[in-house]
Amino acid sequence: MADAISVRGLTKFYGGGLKGIVAAVDNISFSVAEGEVFGFIGPNGAGKTTTIKILLGLLFPSAGEAEVLGKPAGDIETKRRISYLPESPYFYEHMTGAEVIDFYCRLFRMNAGLRKTKTTELLKRVGLASDGDRTLRQYSKGMLQRIGIAQALINDPDLLFLDEPTSGLDPIAHKDITELIASLGKQGKTVFLSSHQLGDVETVCDRVAIINRGKIVKIGTLDDLLHAGRTVVTLARPGDGLVEKLKSLAERVSSDGELVRFYVESEDKVHSLLEAARGKATLVSVVPQRQTLEDLFVEIVREVGK
Amino acid sequence: MIIWSIAKTTIGDALRKKVLQIFLVVAIGLIIISLSFSQTLSFSSRAGSSTDIMLVKSFGLGLMAVAAWLISLVMGVSLIPQEIERRTIYTILSKPVKRYEFIVGKFLGAFLTLAINVAVMGVVFIAVCVFKAWGAEQPLAREESGIPVVGMQQVGLWDWNMVWGVIMIYFQFLLLSSVVLFLSVVLTPTVNFFMGLGVYIVGVMAPLTETLASPDAKLHVVLKTFYKVLHIIVPNFDKFNITNPLLHPETQVKSIPMYTGIVTLYAILYALVMMLLAVIVFRRKEV
Repeated sequence: MADAISVRGLTKFYGGGLKGIVAAVDNISFSVAEGEVFGFIGPNGAGKTTTIKILLGLLFPSAGEAEVLGKPAGDIETKRRISYLPESPYFYEHMTGAEVIDFYCRLFRMNAGLRKTKTTELLKRVGLASDGDRTLRQYSKGMLQRIGIAQALINDPDLLFLDEPTSGLDPIAHKDITELIASLGKQGKTVFLSSHQLGDVETVCDRVAIINRGKIVKIGTLDDLLHAGRTVVTLARPGDGLVEKLKSLAERVSSDGELVRFYVESEDKVHSLLEAARGKATLVSVVPQRQTLEDLFVEIVREVGK
Repeated sequence: MIIWSIAKTTIGDALRKKVLQIFLVVAIGLIIISLSFSQTLSFSSRAGSSTDIMLVKSFGLGLMAVAAWLISLVMGVSLIPQEIERRTIYTILSKPVKRYEFIVGKFLGAFLTLAINVAVMGVVFIAVCVFKAWGAEQPLAREESGIPVVGMQQVGLWDWNMVWGVIMIYFQFLLLSSVVLFLSVVLTPTVNFFMGLGVYIVGVMAPLTETLASPDAKLHVVLKTFYKVLHIIVPNFDKFNITNPLLHPETQVKSIPMYTGIVTLYAILYALVMMLLAVIVFRRKEV
């Protein structure tokens, strides 16, 4: 399957004044296949929005390359096939919902008939059919977000960039939008989803990249990342020599005071580890587990922060 | 189609700005009040109705100029930065919209918003002038067979100079708004406001900068060059100030329509240059 997004060595520096130069995005490389729902997660200021803005041609990279649907990022013809919902979008408040959709339809040079059909169809699709003639000033945050989604669907895009699409929504609007994203994925659309709602990402995404301080620290399918079948062995007061010895059996090791946790992939390795530790440390627990994306995210961000 | 759509939303948005509405309403209110104002502030001891009309005209044009100045400055500094701050620009430029289309749409929207404001004030101003001239008389100044005829005559209701005056105000501030809009692509609104203010003041003082740049001026060559550059670069707002005969009694214009045409052309060309520069800068502007 061809790549909908391809990023190689992408770097973006900001500043240069008294505060010096800051790398908002630091030499990142990844690709998103066509038809994939791709989660792009990271803490605030990690470089998520900067990456999206480069992919849309709103910012220019300091180094590296970014291609969207086979063309350099920002290509005007490619923009006919993509769409973007920014975080907390703002639309002209004096316009009605229908006028906003009509305005964005005009940006695709649609004729009057098509604009009218699209407006009716999209307002219905996002649940605003009866609110189309109200000005946005009278809309709630959830309704504004729905209008944002509607404008992002005008061109029936092949690729959608969604930046925090469920941020600040009530549970019903949240559920509706999450379902909409999932249905877009099922229709074969490529979705690039940046979100802090890790539950949503876990529900709808095929693959996830975790970005922190401008660098991609993890990327893969959810199954790969969340280590199905992993076991956490916790030992108390193992000596330094023992930890070094056991490290080779674990995928990852973390410590918390006297406790050391070994994240072990296979049952064989669990047995080997327990055997090697026998009599040299106190066994606290052996817990088979599948991490949540939230666990993984917190773990990685804390690890990098140390 | 795209440019016009962006211009239309810009007009709709700008016309609803409270601060701009206040400038417009206050100016209109004061122009209407000037109907009675002129009778009490007459400078002539033998105040005739024609003097009153002249005062109404001067006062009205002055007020319109101040309001148009505030509108063009306040609107111009915020129009583009606000789109970035509110993130509206993201949803627009992520559509198949070329950056020049966005900029031209914004300029066009700003020029038309200013036109609507000046037109509304202009209509009120002309209506007030016509109302004031209704039944007003002025001293007769003619001779019949070499004998002066003494008496009073009806003041003409319609004076085309009122229309030319309004047009001159519009193009003067179209010029200012084009400068401010261009600067808004590179400067923050606050810095741009003061920059725009400075450009306007220097532009109004164009005869002074011209004198200081002349070969006769007793200044250091570096300073002369500085004033020369300033005189060339900064738009000459003074060209538009023939509207107030009280301030410019020396002004001799053979044909007001022709003069208006020339300065209008000057304003349009200068505004086009500003728009072109904005398009060039905005091509690589990060939003």
